[in-house]
Amino acid sequence: MTPPRLPLSRQPLRQLQDRIATGLITAGGIGVLMAILAIGVFLLWETLPLLALGDTLAVSRLAPLAWGTLKAAIAAMLFATPIALGAAIYSALFMSARLRSRIKPTLELMEAIPGVVVGFIAGLVLAPWIEQHLASALLLIVWLPFSAILAGALWHIAASRLRPRLPHTWAGLWLIPWLACMVVVALWLAPVIEQQWLGGDLRRFLDLHYGMDYVTRNTLIVGVAMGFAIIPSIYSLADDALADVPPALMEGAQALGASRWQALWKVALPTAGPGIFSAVMIGAGRAVGETMIVLMASSNTALFSASPFEGLRSFSAAIAIELPEASPGGLTYHLLILAALVLFIFTFLVNTLAEVVRHRLRRRYHRLGVRQ
Amino acid sequence: MKSNGFWREKKYRLHLALLGMLLLMTHAALANSSLRVSGTLGAVGSDTMAGLVLRWGEALTARYPDINVQFQAGGSASAPTALIAGTTRLGPMSRPMTEEERQQFIDHYGYPPLELRVARDALVIVVHRHTPLESLTLPQVDAIFSSHLACGEIDPIRRWEALPATASWPYGRIALHGRNLASGTHGLFQQRALCDGPFRPDISEYPGASAVVAAVGESPDAMGYAGYNHLSPMVKALRLTDEYGRTVAPSEAAIQSGAYPLSRDLYLYVNAPPGETLPAAEQALLTLIMSDEGQQIIRAAGFVPLPTNDLETQQVW
Amino acid sequence: MKRRSPHTIREATWLRDGLWPWLCAACVALSLLMLAALLTLLVTRGLSHFWPATLEEVTLGSGDIIIGQSVREAPLPQNAGLERLYFTGNREITGANWRWVSVDDITQQSTPNDLIRLERTPWGDFIGRLIAVESEGQQLTGQEAWDHVKNALTMPPSQRANSELLLATADGQTLRQPVSGISHFQAPNAMSWGQKTYVWGQNVWRFLSQGPRAANTGGGVWPAIFGTVLMVILMSVMVTPFGVLAAIYLNEIAHQNRLTRLVRIGVRNLAGVPSIVYGVFGLGVFVYGIGGSIDTWFFSDELPSPTFGTGGLLWASLTLALLTLPVVIVATEEGLARIPDAQREGAVALGATRLEMLTRVVLPMATPAMLTGVILAVARAAGEVAPLMLVGVAKLAPQVPLDGEFPYLHLERKFMHLGYHLFDTAFHGEDVQAAIPLVYATALLLVLIVLALNLTAIFLRHHLRRQRGNEC
Repeated sequence: MTPPRLPLSRQPLRQLQDRIATGLITAGGIGVLMAILAIGVFLLWETLPLLALGDTLAVSRLAPLAWGTLKAAIAAMLFATPIALGAAIYSALFMSARLRSRIKPTLELMEAIPGVVVGFIAGLVLAPWIEQHLASALLLIVWLPFSAILAGALWHIAASRLRPRLPHTWAGLWLIPWLACMVVVALWLAPVIEQQWLGGDLRRFLDLHYGMDYVTRNTLIVGVAMGFAIIPSIYSLADDALADVPPALMEGAQALGASRWQALWKVALPTAGPGIFSAVMIGAGRAVGETMIVLMASSNTALFSASPFEGLRSFSAAIAIELPEASPGGLTYHLLILAALVLFIFTFLVNTLAEVVRHRLRRRYHRLGVRQ
Repeated sequence: MKSNGFWREKKYRLHLALLGMLLLMTHAALANSSLRVSGTLGAVGSDTMAGLVLRWGEALTARYPDINVQFQAGGSASAPTALIAGTTRLGPMSRPMTEEERQQFIDHYGYPPLELRVARDALVIVVHRHTPLESLTLPQVDAIFSSHLACGEIDPIRRWEALPATASWPYGRIALHGRNLASGTHGLFQQRALCDGPFRPDISEYPGASAVVAAVGESPDAMGYAGYNHLSPMVKALRLTDEYGRTVAPSEAAIQSGAYPLSRDLYLYVNAPPGETLPAAEQALLTLIMSDEGQQIIRAAGFVPLPTNDLETQQVW
Repeated sequence: MKRRSPHTIREATWLRDGLWPWLCAACVALSLLMLAALLTLLVTRGLSHFWPATLEEVTLGSGDIIIGQSVREAPLPQNAGLERLYFTGNREITGANWRWVSVDDITQQSTPNDLIRLERTPWGDFIGRLIAVESEGQQLTGQEAWDHVKNALTMPPSQRANSELLLATADGQTLRQPVSGISHFQAPNAMSWGQKTYVWGQNVWRFLSQGPRAANTGGGVWPAIFGTVLMVILMSVMVTPFGVLAAIYLNEIAHQNRLTRLVRIGVRNLAGVPSIVYGVFGLGVFVYGIGGSIDTWFFSDELPSPTFGTGGLLWASLTLALLTLPVVIVATEEGLARIPDAQREGAVALGATRLEMLTRVVLPMATPAMLTGVILAVARAAGEVAPLMLVGVAKLAPQVPLDGEFPYLHLERKFMHLGYHLFDTAFHGEDVQAAIPLVYATALLLVLIVLALNLTAIFLRHHLRRQRGNEC
C-alpha cells in the first residue's frame, strides 16, 4: 500500500486531523472507562439510603441469601474443580497434541451453552430423575472414579498387543464409551445395593436414620448444573497454565528419574500453582453470580441449612425474581441493589486477585526464560 | 474506489425492497380498511392470567391486525405498581386490589381505577396422581402449609403418616411447593387457606405455577398449590371440605357457583379517567372480553366463565 | 499463546505413572460425556416433537375407546405394572387433553389409517375421525371431503369458504368445526415415510417462521428469533465502536504506566461481573433514570403511559452492550498487541501521522481480532437472559419492533427473546406437559445459534493466527 503523495500545503491539515482524532479517541476511551466505573458508583449511590437507615433489617433479610449464594457456589466448586483440574492435567501433559487441539475448543464450547438451557435441563429433567434415582446418583460419585481406575488397571495387565490400539494419549476419547457402559452398570447396581443394605429406599433410610429431608430441587442439583457450567472456564485457564510450564523443567525432572506423574506433582503443579489458583478463583466468581441456573434448578427457599438435599436461594435469583416488582425507592429495591453491590464487589475482588496472580505467574515464566 | 458501482446497485436494490414493502403495506391497509382500530395494549400483572391475556391478544390481533398487544407477567403485585408508576394502563390481577393499593392509585391520579371482574378461577391443592389422598379439610391445609396454625388446627402436619389416607404410603415429610412472594396466588392462598398466617419457611418457591405443578407431578411425596388452569395430567387436584362439612371437588360448576372454598375472581384493572372515552384498542379489548367469544376463550384458557348476570351488571364503561 | 510441542511418552513411563493419570483422563471423558448427553437430549427431544406421531386407537377393559398419541410410560406404584399417557385432545368435550391408561388394562390396540389430527383455535388439538364436510349446503364425504379440507387450508383463514367439518370423537360423539378455525390438518397413520419427512420439515419451518399461539403453548418462535437477532444487532452496533475506541486508547494512545495497567485489569474483571448486576444497573440508570427523564422532557403528553421509562429494546441492547464491552476491548487489545512495533515504526518513519498509521496499518491488521471480539460478544449476548428480565423482555409481543409505521424501528417497544421464551414456557406456561417439547425445541435452537456464533469466532481466530504465521 503506497500512501498517496500529498502536497506540502496539506501538512497542517493532516496534523490537525491527527490531533482531533487523538482527542476523540482519548475522549471515547476515557468515556467508556467512566461508564464502566459508573456501575460501581450507581450501586453504591443507591444503597446509601440503607446505610443511612442503619437498620439491622438489611442484614437479617440478606443473610440467608448470602448463605444460599455461598452454598450454591461451594457445591458447584466441589463438583467442578476436581473434574476441571483433572481434565486440565490430562490434556496439558498426557494427551496427544492432535487430540488436544480438538478437545480443548470443544470443552471451551461448553461454556457457551446458555445458562437458561442448563437450568431448564437441571430443573425439569435432572432434578426429577435424581429424586427417583438418588441411590444411583450417589453411587455414580464413587463408581465413576473407580471405573476409571479399573480401566487403567485393565490396560496395565492387557496384552501388549492391545495397548497400541488403545493408546493412553487418546484415553480421554476412548474412555467415553467405557464410562457410558459403567454408568449403565451403576444404574443397574444401585437398586440392588438399595435393596440389600438400605432397606429398599435410600430416601427413607436417610430420613429414618439421619432425619434428613429431601427437596426435589436441591443443592446437589444446583451444584451439578452450575458445576457443569463452570468446568470449561476453570479447565481452559488451568490447561493454559500447565501447558505453559517450560518443558525443560519437566524434561529435567524426568531425566533425573522421576515418572511423568511425579514430575507433574513435584514440578509442574508447584510452578503452575498460581495459574491454577486463578483459574479456580475465576470459576468461583462465575459460580457466585450465575443467575438462571440457580433460579431454575433450586427451590428458592431462604433457609440456613447445610444439607446438600435441601434447597437454597441466592442473591442473583432473588434479584431476578423480585426486582421487577419492587417499586423504585422502596426498601426492597434498595435491599436488592445492596445484594447486587455485594455480588459486584465480591466478583470484582476475586477476579482482581486472580488477574494479579496470573500476572505474577507470567513474569515468573518469563524469568525462567526457557520458552523458545 | 472501485466498489462504488456495487454500492450504488445495493442502494438501488434497497429502494426497490422498500417500495415493495410499502406496496404490500398499503395493500394490507386497504384490505382491512373497515377495521381501523389500532394501538398498543400493554399489560403488566398476574402471570396466572397470562394465558388468558395472551389469548385475548391473539383473538384481538386476528380481528384488528393493527392492535399490538404486549404482556409482562410478574405477578399480581406488579400490576398496581405498574399502574401507579404509569408503566401500563391495563393491570390483570388474580386478586382484588388491597385498600392500600387502591388508595395509592387514587392519591396519584385522583380517581379510582376501573375494576372489572372477568373470569372465575380457583386455587387447587395438587398432589402426585398416585398419592392415595383425595380430600383435605381447610384447617388441615393450614396445618400443612402454615407455621402459625391461624385457622385453629392444633398440631402441625409435617409428615404423610399424620394423614389417615396416607398412613402407609407415601412416607416421610410432605415436600411443599408454592409460588414466590410477588404472585397473587401466594397472597390469596395465604389469606384464604392460611387465615393470613405466615407460610412455612421451607416451602419451595417457584417463579411460575407450571413449575409448581411439574415439581409435584414428578414426586409422590409432594404437595403444592396452583391455579386451576395449570392442572396437568401428572397431578391430581384434591377435594376440599369447607366449614359446613361439604366436600367439594374443584369442578367447573363448583367454581362458578363459588361452592369450592378456594374459588376466586380474576380482575382487570384499567386506568380509565372518568368522563373520558377509552382508547379504541382498550374499548375493543373490553368488548371482546364480555362477548361470547371472550367467554369461550376463558374456558379454553382453563378458567371458568362468570355467571351470565355477573357479566351483564358490569357493562359500565 | 504458544502451544506445547507434542510429547512422545514411551509406554514404560506411562506404566510407571500408576493409575492417577487414568483418573485425569476420565475427567476429560466425563466432561465430554456430559456435553454429549446434553446435546443428544436436546437434539432428540427437540426434533422429534415435529415428527407426525402415530395415533393409536385403544380399547380398554371397561369398554372405553380412546384415540390418542402415546406420550410416555411410567411405572405404577407398588410394582403394579406400567401406565401410559395418551394425548387425546378434544378438550372442550372431555375436559382434559390427556389420559393415563394402565398398560395391563388395554385389550385392543390398533392404528387405523383414517384417524386425523387437527390444530384449531381456540380449543387446541382435535383427534378423531372425519365424517364429512358441509360446504354450501352439500355434504362431501370420502376423498372429496379430504380434498376440500386440503384446498381450504392453503388459503388464509379469513378467505376460506364458509364450510364446516363433521368430526367424530373416539366414543362416537359428533362435533362441528368451522374450517376457518383450523390451522393444520393431518392423518399421520396414512402417511408414508417420505410424506412424514416432508411434514416434519414443514413443521420445523412453521416453528421457525410463525408466531406463538395459544398463550405460548403452541405455534412458533419467529418473534423471539427476530427479537433476539435485532437486539443483538443493535447491541453490536453500539458495542463495536466504543469497544474498539477504548482498546485503541488503552493500547496505542495512553501512556503505558501503572494506571493503564490497573485500568486494563479492571476492564478484564468486568467480564467476570455477574450479568444480573448489569441488569440492575440497566434498570436503575437506563430505565428509571434516563428513560424516565426522556419521558418527562419529550413524551410528557403520553404520560402516565411511559414511552422510554419502561423496559424496551433500546435499554436491553444498551445493557447488553455494556455487558459485552469488556469482551470486545480485551479481544481487540490482544489483536493490537500482537502487531509488531516495527509495523508502526515503519509507518511513522515513512511520514505518516498517528491517525494515518492507525487507520492504514494498525487497524486493518487488527480487524480479524476485532471481528472475533464482536462475534464472541454477540454469542454471549444471545444466550444471556437474566439482565433482560429486568430491562425489557416481554412474554408476548407478537408485533416485532421493526415495521412499516414511522419511525420503522421502535426502540421503546418490548420484544421477545428466545432465552426468556424458553424460561417462560417452562415455568409460566399453562399445561407444562404440553409445553415441554416446545421448550426442548427452543432450547435446541438457542444452543445452535450460540454454538454457531462461537464456532465462527473460533475459525476466524484460527484463520487469523495462520495468516499472521505466514506474514511473520
